[in-house]
Amino acid sequence: MFADFKNDKFMYLIVLAVIVFVCAQALFFLRKAWIRGKELGISTDKLKNAVTSSAIFSFAPAVGIAITVISLSVALGYVLPWIRLTVIGAIQYETTAAIGAIQAATNDPSANIAVPITDPQIFSEITWVMTLGSILPLILIPIVLKKIQKGVSDVASKNSKWMDIMTAAAFIGLISAFIAKGLAGMGSKTEPKIGDGAGVLSLAALVFSTGFMIFFTLLNKKLKKNWIEALSMPVSMALAMIAVVLINTFAPSIAQIEWRY
Amino acid sequence: MKKEKTYFDKVHTWGRIWVVAALVFFLSIPVAVSIHFGVTPRGEIIGKGVAALIIFLITGIVEVIAYSPMLGAGGTYLSFVSGNIMNLKMPCAINAMENAKVKANTEEGEVITTIAIASSIVVTTIVIAITVIAFALNPSFSELMASDTFAPAFQQVTYTIFGSLAAGYFIKHWKISIFPIAAVVVVLLFVDPGIGVLIPIGVILSMLGAHIMYKLKLV
Repeated sequence: MFADFKNDKFMYLIVLAVIVFVCAQALFFLRKAWIRGKELGISTDKLKNAVTSSAIFSFAPAVGIAITVISLSVALGYVLPWIRLTVIGAIQYETTAAIGAIQAATNDPSANIAVPITDPQIFSEITWVMTLGSILPLILIPIVLKKIQKGVSDVASKNSKWMDIMTAAAFIGLISAFIAKGLAGMGSKTEPKIGDGAGVLSLAALVFSTGFMIFFTLLNKKLKKNWIEALSMPVSMALAMIAVVLINTFAPSIAQIEWRY
Repeated sequence: MKKEKTYFDKVHTWGRIWVVAALVFFLSIPVAVSIHFGVTPRGEIIGKGVAALIIFLITGIVEVIAYSPMLGAGGTYLSFVSGNIMNLKMPCAINAMENAKVKANTEEGEVITTIAIASSIVVTTIVIAITVIAFALNPSFSELMASDTFAPAFQQVTYTIFGSLAAGYFIKHWKISIFPIAAVVVVLLFVDPGIGVLIPIGVILSMLGAHIMYKLKLV
């Protein structure tokens, strides 16, 4: 585990410090919000529901993130991608960012994440590039966030119906981008993999997760149980994932059909 | 008389302190790595590398403006420190608000999104840690997860998140949902600029469509 310089004890100490920092911040805000929620008269059930639902929901995406860490570990070791995907990083562009950083540091435009980095100098430069390339939001947020939030709340107080529609439209726009990507998105050109372009698997994931979610929503309308509401989304996701694995295992020739690759 | 601080004011004060601390901490990581390995990083290489990631810098600015009204104040301070916003923190916040029947940009919405995102961060951090250590200690586990059976399934996690989110949202707001999906599909037929660019396109088109429908009294 510690044989490679990229995975030495010092690197593990850094990731440990990162984990402590991120969890401390989360627990601090969780406590403050919980206290405020009680003051506002939000029921303990609702607050607990938010915790449970989010915690269960986060499980499968977290495993997906860990797999991205593994895919980057050949070139960068386990710890640097682990740090990157615990802070600021995002599963969608971390691989591209890593490739960009590796190509710049090695001065090789064909370099990729399949070849281990063996020079500590290059490794440290990649660490610099990946950090500096992603910290801009952390500089902007303390300066602009309060102004943005104030602007939004001023508009909301003037025309609440319009604001409700615009907020829903913003969420829908975000969801639409992913739905459309699953229906017609291209696969990766730099790191092509089975299932990365729109095809049977992405469509199955969309259809099954939507179908299961509708089923649980209807079930909850009938039974009116808090636990169904909290579990609807994570369970729908898990069942859709199982459906995708089953299709991929038992009908691989159909599963690998991609209309955009 | 001094005006009493609201909950939102306090959140911004706490948030700024945490984010500035995070900034200093994260910048100290490459410094520590360089010192630990006894190397001096070359400025021109770093400059070239950061220039290659210019799209992420631009995306970072767009994300702050586009996501912060949806994530709430506390949720934004938390999400931008821990990352994985659109595939994890945002769906978590939307789902929690739906379940609690509270609206974004209200104090109740602020409380619920903060609790949901904070819980998600703790669980995600622990699950990533356990999974990575399991992989590092047991390469066969790593091979299994990267196998042709499981890898394509995990490739679809994001679609299962947004498929299940869409179920609730699109049924409730179907009138304003058709246009953005169709429009983004049309964009994708010509060019796929990546999800970081597709999201702002989807959000802008969706808000534009909804605004026109509102003006025409169709919603």
